[in-house]
Amino acid sequence: MADLSVKIGDMIFKNPIFVASGTFGYGTENPELVDISKLGAIVTKSITLNPREGNPPPRIVETSSGMINSIGLANIGVEKYISDMLPIYEEMDTPIIMNIAGSSMTEYMDVMKKVEAVSSNIVGYEINISCPNVKEGGMEFGVDCEMTEKLTRELRKLTDRLLIMKLSPNVTDIAGIATSSENGGADAVSAINTVVGMSINHTSHFSDIHTTFGGLSGPAIKPVGLACVHKVYRAVNIPIIGIGGIVNSADVIEYFLAGSCSVQVGTANFRNPGITEIILNDLNNYLDEKGIDSISSLIGSVMTHD
Amino acid sequence: MYIENVTISSNEEIAMGIWRMSMNAPKIAAAYIGPGQFINILPNDNWEHPIRRPMSIASVNGNIVEIIYKIFGDMTHQLSRKNSGETINILGPLGNVFTEWDKKEVDPILIGGGVGLAPILNVYESCKNPIMIIGAKTAAEHFMEHDPKNNIYLTTDDGSMGIAGNALKAIDEIDVNENSFIFACGPEPMLHALQKYAIGKNIRAQLSVESYMGCGVGLCQGCVIERQNGQVQKHSYHEKYSLVCLDGPVYECSEVTFG
Repeated sequence: MADLSVKIGDMIFKNPIFVASGTFGYGTENPELVDISKLGAIVTKSITLNPREGNPPPRIVETSSGMINSIGLANIGVEKYISDMLPIYEEMDTPIIMNIAGSSMTEYMDVMKKVEAVSSNIVGYEINISCPNVKEGGMEFGVDCEMTEKLTRELRKLTDRLLIMKLSPNVTDIAGIATSSENGGADAVSAINTVVGMSINHTSHFSDIHTTFGGLSGPAIKPVGLACVHKVYRAVNIPIIGIGGIVNSADVIEYFLAGSCSVQVGTANFRNPGITEIILNDLNNYLDEKGIDSISSLIGSVMTHD
Repeated sequence: MYIENVTISSNEEIAMGIWRMSMNAPKIAAAYIGPGQFINILPNDNWEHPIRRPMSIASVNGNIVEIIYKIFGDMTHQLSRKNSGETINILGPLGNVFTEWDKKEVDPILIGGGVGLAPILNVYESCKNPIMIIGAKTAAEHFMEHDPKNNIYLTTDDGSMGIAGNALKAIDEIDVNENSFIFACGPEPMLHALQKYAIGKNIRAQLSVESYMGCGVGLCQGCVIERQNGQVQKHSYHEKYSLVCLDGPVYECSEVTFG
């Protein structure tokens, strides 16, 4: 069997199949449908300093080969995350990466300080600087190189755990934001967050999403994700976690070839919370059939025509 | 809850645009609790439609789970093209159930609008002496007979069958007493009207709400409805919004707020 382990910072993950933030709750929701011990890691839903109710409905709509969501960072807040979730994670074997969102430098820092102040087994932080659905979603950081670098640098001072910056595709130059993350001291970047989208009902003339705009995800955005990952791969030396429309093992391979060192499965969890297990099995078979010893050997090895 | 590839045992149009499908789903049938629960359906393997469609269970007999669905768009159209013997993938059983309809002191009034009739028929099958009101746009969408003597009232928006008008119009023809208890499923405007009616008459009502769902299992947080009281139920994390997939789809009429 091929070696599926991947290294990010000083951490070795047993396999590269993670579940994406906002698509797997807090990792404690669906014990019947998924064996979470098989997962490389769980990235938990974005946590903010205070609890958030989220946006009014309608929050989601299906589009061609995708869906648009505007949940609005509904979450329990960091205090409850610490009191209710961290103890559960102590009992779990699966590595937990905590996703943090904020509206100011101070908010991101305060959330991280609170978690760092208590004992826990979470292995790292993914910093959401790219939520398109709320004013306070950190996008002002995610679209600005200087702000990204500053935020990364400040957070770097607060933790020795993995620091991963989650990048938005809704920018002119994603490689620039990735470089700023690297310069600020990030261990890795994850790309991409959702693509800004809109859906309109031609019969009622209403927007299908309460906030008018939302985040497009699913297979529809895979080409965008692959392009972003490859652009970032050409620009930075830190690992890239590929996200965007991954539903099967072939998608995983493509993301590795583009430059990812691991991937996150997102929207596909909504269709089948156990889909990661299927992807993992198929990935093993693919590598064995191709005689590939280690999945890491594929990273960035896409053959281009230039 | 389970994810099962199930074999379709029958799939037929029972009224204009309204279909009934039976499938052999032993695990989900065994885990089924009662009327109100739903399954989340995936007609095929491709990703053109990434999201499952929630559909109320109309009945469970042995291993056979039955749904009644209306053709709304491409996915339900695809579902209607399925023949018996073919398989589909379903997730369930999901959600909570109507309660108290089997109590001695309860006089149930069952109200279904559009495809909301599926869980209502499900209650009807087990209920003693209920009154049932089924609403549709036009006669062709009905597959039962208007039969007030046996307490079955059909309504049509265009007056082509039964009582002209909506479910509220039919309720006016019924003797409502303090034991009357409305159990309803249907589009939001109907439920909103019934909520106002029940509160005005000081009778109880349980409403099964429709919601756009991304997953049906609490992961996407998409299918919210606003609560009236601030009580946090065990499955939703929040005070203002309730997740229909986990806390619902059935709510006491005093629990929720309609847009």
